[in-house]
Amino acid sequence: MSKRYGLVIDLDRCTGCLTCIVACQTEHNLEQISGIRVETVGGTGRDTPSGTYPNFSMHYLPIPCMHCAEPPCIPACPAEAISKRLDGIVLVDEAKCDGCLMCMDACPYGAIVNKSNTNTVWKCTLCDHRIEQGEVPFCVDCCEMEAMFFGDINDPSTQVSQWAEKRNAYLYKPELDTNPGVRYCPPRDKQK
Amino acid sequence: MTTANKKLVPTVCHSACGSVCGLLAHVEDGVLTKVEAQDMPDPRHRHICARGLSTIQMVYHPDRLKYPMKRVGERGEGKWERISWDEALDTITDKLKKIREEYGPQSLMWCVSTIGGLDLSYASLAGTLQGTFASIIGDGDSAGPCGDMASFGAIWGDCYLTGMENPEVIIAWGTNPAETSVFGMRQIQADRERGARFIVIDPRFTPTASKADQYIRIRPGTDTALALGIMHVILEKGLQDDSFILENTVGPFLVNTQTGLFLKENEVIAEGSDQKFMIWDTSANEARPSDSSNPTPALTGTFTIDGIECKPAFQLLADIVKEYTPVKVSEITEIPEDIIRELALYYAQRKPVASYRGMGMQRTFHGDLTYRAINTLAAITGNLHLEAPQLPVYELYMYLHGIMTCNMMPILKAYDAIETGDPSPIKALWIAKQNWVNQLPDSGRTVRDLFPKLDLIVVADIFMTASARYADIVLPACTFYEQMDLMPPINVVPSMPAYFKLQQRAIEPLHEARPDTEIVRELARRLDLGEYFENSDEQMIELLLSTGYPAEMGITMEKLKQGPVKAPRRPDIPTFSTPSGKMEFYSEKLFGLGQQLPCYKEPLESVRTPLSQKYPLTFLTTHTRFRSHSTLANVQRLRELEPEPFLQMNPSDAEPRGINDGDIVRAFNDRGTMKLKVNVHQAIQPGTVNVNQGWWPEDFIEGTHQELTHSVVNPAQDLIYEPNSAYYDVLVEVEKVREG
Repeated sequence: MSKRYGLVIDLDRCTGCLTCIVACQTEHNLEQISGIRVETVGGTGRDTPSGTYPNFSMHYLPIPCMHCAEPPCIPACPAEAISKRLDGIVLVDEAKCDGCLMCMDACPYGAIVNKSNTNTVWKCTLCDHRIEQGEVPFCVDCCEMEAMFFGDINDPSTQVSQWAEKRNAYLYKPELDTNPGVRYCPPRDKQK
Repeated sequence: MTTANKKLVPTVCHSACGSVCGLLAHVEDGVLTKVEAQDMPDPRHRHICARGLSTIQMVYHPDRLKYPMKRVGERGEGKWERISWDEALDTITDKLKKIREEYGPQSLMWCVSTIGGLDLSYASLAGTLQGTFASIIGDGDSAGPCGDMASFGAIWGDCYLTGMENPEVIIAWGTNPAETSVFGMRQIQADRERGARFIVIDPRFTPTASKADQYIRIRPGTDTALALGIMHVILEKGLQDDSFILENTVGPFLVNTQTGLFLKENEVIAEGSDQKFMIWDTSANEARPSDSSNPTPALTGTFTIDGIECKPAFQLLADIVKEYTPVKVSEITEIPEDIIRELALYYAQRKPVASYRGMGMQRTFHGDLTYRAINTLAAITGNLHLEAPQLPVYELYMYLHGIMTCNMMPILKAYDAIETGDPSPIKALWIAKQNWVNQLPDSGRTVRDLFPKLDLIVVADIFMTASARYADIVLPACTFYEQMDLMPPINVVPSMPAYFKLQQRAIEPLHEARPDTEIVRELARRLDLGEYFENSDEQMIELLLSTGYPAEMGITMEKLKQGPVKAPRRPDIPTFSTPSGKMEFYSEKLFGLGQQLPCYKEPLESVRTPLSQKYPLTFLTTHTRFRSHSTLANVQRLRELEPEPFLQMNPSDAEPRGINDGDIVRAFNDRGTMKLKVNVHQAIQPGTVNVNQGWWPEDFIEGTHQELTHSVVNPAQDLIYEPNSAYYDVLVEVEKVREG
């Protein structure tokens, strides 16, 4: 199979530290926006659980661009500013983007953000500039709990594939047939 | 690595957090462009967080103090006039000399928040002047250390509680390492992945608790009772680890029940030693020195020796633990009895158990007793790791001139000294790297009763903090990227990396900012003490490395310039540095206060005292991942993550007060008030409210969290080590101000 870059995010390891958000901002010089957000899966507010004591439940869900195999954003863009590379990375060409924001509506993951100062959209690039230097995306590099893994998800010998295998990684919204390049390992079951 | 205008500088994140992670600073044309985690000798110790990444915005913040200023209005009025460094330092020097002449050198006090490093130059100056240096460990962090000092003879005893390999069960008591102690959390996560059971005991359901197999709510300030209740079940079932107790604790040592003192050999045998502890040898049926050959020491019983009634310390512990039945403890802690019994079985039968004790838990008035109770529980079940903490951090700096002779005054005692002149008046206060008004307790008392007694207030800082606003003269200080320093190995938690780290200057000081060390040198010269302060920063570090422990271990400047160097273990530290050389759950020193054994005392401001009629809610001010205390509270990227303070409140407390999520509320007590938005949710226990601490006054609609806290001194802590600020031992009432 051809190379496909992606991420595996272990939700059991993730403690919601939000470092990935700031890492993305600093690496890409972003103000107010980031290529990744972190949702609390639990109660209605950040850091709040669902359920009642003692049966609380909460975990965190970091959501970057999924670098889908079938990205709904590409056909949605009238300016043809979004493209998928052979290695699976989906990129926005800011020079072509005219800020119509149609892609934001099309993305089922809410992963595309409006960069208001340039009137374009922006999203996670998987730090393609770092990958070219043999480095991992900066959010992966900074992840406090080492919950994020980067690599070729089509190659079963990579650490990223093995982690996905070992921890039963799942796809987010599989029913949409987007085939995301970001895979999630679920939180572990509580010991009785 | 280095081109003409681009360089990578290994340094450290020195921003009011104990982790002090290694950083790699990217500098282009003298401008800091990026920071990232620095490679460490052990890859598990490579780390950066949202705060560390955001420090660039602190450096280039538009609100940086840019030049020295003098006050031209009333204190706190906010009217300033730019002055030169020379004028600032000359004015300060004249004033310091006058105050010294009138009130003596001890009336000059420096209050500097430091985790070591050359910031201690201020202590060096204070010592050389015979002045006073405030110890700020009592700023919320000294009660637990008091407990550990009594138990282990060391102020940071976490190594004993969490240093064991492969724990079966991990119990986090009142601690949230996911947000506040990343290396501890990494260890916990690794142990969880190995299959360890993880239990969190906390009044708040935190990000840490979200990882727990079992989350247990507890009434704040009652952890001591829980530990005693668990011990009750263990002793009732005879599940204690007798051989561990005999070998490693004072358990078998006989105590004179009248005097509360350990019986010594010379009290029994005329020519005996006054150092030797006595045990009751059940095979010989007589009292013998603890070091006799092959004794069979009794752990229980009452014995009369030469007319003196004695009991082994363990019997005295058993006597007190007997009172803490699960029924009683359940009533105190609001934890069901069966959970107390279950915890007892974990401690006794699922060993080893690692007990992570939080600093939050010890911010109650009797937090020292809480640590002692948990230490005792771990000891009687053999869940102590028998290795002392690695390094007494401050010993490193003893070669700075004068540092050993300065008059160290616990910060809470300084409150009294300033207000009443007892034990000696304080008339000049120099604050550096510390935000007294924002972060120390009872800010109303500080501003109303303390500051007016001072003839001079100087603040050196990077921003116009809540404290700087009350200064007579403010001095622009440097961020850690702008000054060189030596960071000591700190391994408060054993999983924390113990390295010597060099904080290298990455960029030149911005504006007119000066490093604190340079301010000290300039001031010393003006006070005719220049000869003691001639060393540059680099020379000072060379001096510190050339003596004592670092020299023995071969730590050199050359090595440190390449990156952090692991601090080798000192071979000469005894397992326990207590008077007996054993783990002391019984403390002779505290007999006079009735606290020779861990015992439960209600919080000072308990919901079960009459004060709760007026103020029925326990108020906490917890630490988060969004700030380091008040440092970084004004940084944009972190404010995007948490834009404003909010009070966390349980629906069962909100409803009867007509409060809905998002409303504006007022929390208040006799000391002060705080107006802010409320978040109503289940993550906080009924009867308890919380605000994440560190916010600045302008972030609240009115007042601050520190108006509500108090500065009452705990005498036992004062006796052992240093009294703590009991930030989490506070009662308030909350009322709705308006709809959100």
